[in-house]
Amino acid sequence: MNNDAYLWVHKMSGILEALWAGIAQLGEYLSAHVVTCLIPAFFIAGAIAAMISKRTILKYFGSKVKKWISYSVASVSGTILAVCSCTILPMFAGIYKRGGGIGPATTFLYSGPAINILAITLTASVLGVGLGIARAVGAILMSIVIGLIMASIFERKQAKTRSTPAVEVEETSTRKRPWYASPAVFVLLVLILLIAAPSYIPLYPKVLVVTALVIATVAIVRKHYSKDEVGAWMQETWWVVKKIMPILLIGVFITGVIAYFVPYDWVRSAMGGNLIVSCFVASIIGAILYMPTLLEVPIVGTILGYSQGVIGAGPALSLLLAGPAVSLPSMLTLWRIIGARKTAAYILLVITFSTILGVVFGMVL
Amino acid sequence: MKKVEILSAGCPKCKFVEKRVRETIEELGIDAKVEEVTDMSKIIKRGVMATPAVVVDGSVKSEGRVPTREEIEKWLK
Repeated sequence: MNNDAYLWVHKMSGILEALWAGIAQLGEYLSAHVVTCLIPAFFIAGAIAAMISKRTILKYFGSKVKKWISYSVASVSGTILAVCSCTILPMFAGIYKRGGGIGPATTFLYSGPAINILAITLTASVLGVGLGIARAVGAILMSIVIGLIMASIFERKQAKTRSTPAVEVEETSTRKRPWYASPAVFVLLVLILLIAAPSYIPLYPKVLVVTALVIATVAIVRKHYSKDEVGAWMQETWWVVKKIMPILLIGVFITGVIAYFVPYDWVRSAMGGNLIVSCFVASIIGAILYMPTLLEVPIVGTILGYSQGVIGAGPALSLLLAGPAVSLPSMLTLWRIIGARKTAAYILLVITFSTILGVVFGMVL
Repeated sequence: MKKVEILSAGCPKCKFVEKRVRETIEELGIDAKVEEVTDMSKIIKRGVMATPAVVVDGSVKSEGRVPTREEIEKWLK
């Protein structure tokens, strides 16, 4: 065999191996424990979208609402709301321009994409429960701290300019049902998620308990919700699946293929260990890179090799904290809404605190 | 002629609203032009906070939800 042919065969087998790595990665993400996590999470996301009006949340922002209420609602409303930063930006603009103040608005902007239920679930099931919890708690804390700092830097000058009340909200609740019905449904759904997910619960008790919980949920829903409401829930769930799954599956495959070519020695030297430098580099990468919703998980786990131990828990957390919150395209839109100075301050704060929390998490673990 | 704009983030829900609006227009035989607006800064300029939103002749009719067929008919008349 001459040299050219040998090289060609060599190249082809490399490509095949890379494709195989992509398929293997896809198999890993479609394995039972990930799917059992995602299915309840999709139903929860659908229920939230169908039952909670986005505008209801907006009444907690406004110059007349107590600040601590605005900040607390802002920091957790991301779990409820968006599945991607593109839907967060218009709401951020609305809160900011209608007198919600830069502080709560920024808290909302940060926490929104960082702590939605699907992202946290996927993080916990693929990268480990520790990192999942650290991500949720870290994002909530960070969103409040960043909001408060933004307010203390920029608020004083603007305090008097706008005092428009919060958004008026049309009440859409039509059907009367006992006050406990909706909370009960949510609690049951979250229980299903928490019991279905962890691999240390043996299969048989798990199936039994989950079945019982599902039956209880169905019973409550059938008793207290109309057919239309259930239909709306299922429709929303399907939309979330349709919006997320194609990108997730293609993305998981592509990250698997890319990972085949990643020079891990280089990654290790830039981001290995839990050093400040590693966390800082991870934060910067996270802030610049645009990551479609949920793809931050395979990016951290596979491309940067967290699952293989290439990077430590610290930089992994840094990247998860900085990643979904900021990206180059979102920076540009943000710039047009709040101006260059505030945008720059926001990005610097995100990078700084992502780095700090990463370092702290790396030391604790 | 009416001008209907669908402010959309390209999500399946937005596509559904656009389809429903187009179907309603066709059924009623109304002379209307439907346009999809996906530029985020244009959407923000309208003061719309949640997509999908339906705008008829410049006024925002609904946002963040899927309007019913009856609602759409009412807006178009």
